[in-house]
Amino acid sequence: MSDLEAPLTPELLSWVGRTVTYAAPEPVGAAAIRYFARAVGDDNPIYTDAVAARAAGYRDVVAPPTWIAETVQYMDAGRDADGYAGHTWPLPVPEGYRTVRGGNTYELFGPVHPDTRLVVTWELESITAKRRMIFCESLVTYTDADGAVLATNRDSIIYVPPVAS
Amino acid sequence: MTGSWAPGDELPDLVRTLTLVDLVAYAGATWDWNRLHYDGVEIAERGLPGPVVDGQMFGALLAEQVQDHVGPSCRIRRMGFRYNAMVFAGETVTVRGEVESVSHDGVVRVAQHIATDVAGPDGGPKVAVTGAWCEFEVLP
Repeated sequence: MSDLEAPLTPELLSWVGRTVTYAAPEPVGAAAIRYFARAVGDDNPIYTDAVAARAAGYRDVVAPPTWIAETVQYMDAGRDADGYAGHTWPLPVPEGYRTVRGGNTYELFGPVHPDTRLVVTWELESITAKRRMIFCESLVTYTDADGAVLATNRDSIIYVPPVAS
Repeated sequence: MTGSWAPGDELPDLVRTLTLVDLVAYAGATWDWNRLHYDGVEIAERGLPGPVVDGQMFGALLAEQVQDHVGPSCRIRRMGFRYNAMVFAGETVTVRGEVESVSHDGVVRVAQHIATDVAGPDGGPKVAVTGAWCEFEVLP
């Protein structure tokens, strides 16, 4: 394989189509919502004040719109060597490749409340290559415990080759 | 704010300085304990100038800008963004937004981007997030 060729091995491509589902061990909880709102500095009262949330048309306080896709609270897995405890695909990429985030597209169908219990499914949709970089696109679907879809997230991760010395 | 929207309407900028404390709080709040966000030894070993802001945090800022401007009746339906450059602890980011289109059924699409107070490769402000957009509706 030449250096300029796309490093897409059959072994790597065999990961396309795989899915994994995580069910949160407990409901979201009001404190988790408040923690996130404080952490990102968003003082909108609909996240912490049930009266304000009801006045805005919600049945209870809500999580910030993108919380559902930013947190990995729904997982209960161990940490990897970097300390990361969220979902990763253990893809057989070439030695020395590192990951960077590519981008996200969110579709939001319904609010997340403290009593929401998340079930999250990751599907590896595609693996492509360009200029020796590998692009991994996943579709993440977030439902409540009854199976109603709350959000989807198209998540793009880029595997970048080591810098030539 | 509710009412009419027209292409070209600008949203007020959202400006935020992201300190190491913000990064640690965010790492905790999202259960993402990756060392890149706080571990000085690991960061130096990787040759990075400082703790790395988790790019997904920018999604929260993009949504905040829209919701703060539109008000409690705002319902964000879709949004997307691409990461353009890493942002490090201590940098100040500015979220800009402008109404791009309004559909016949009332969906307002805002084009957004996030730049920092640090110079980018072309000498202008470093662009952290590019090609961002957000579509929302306003409840009656």
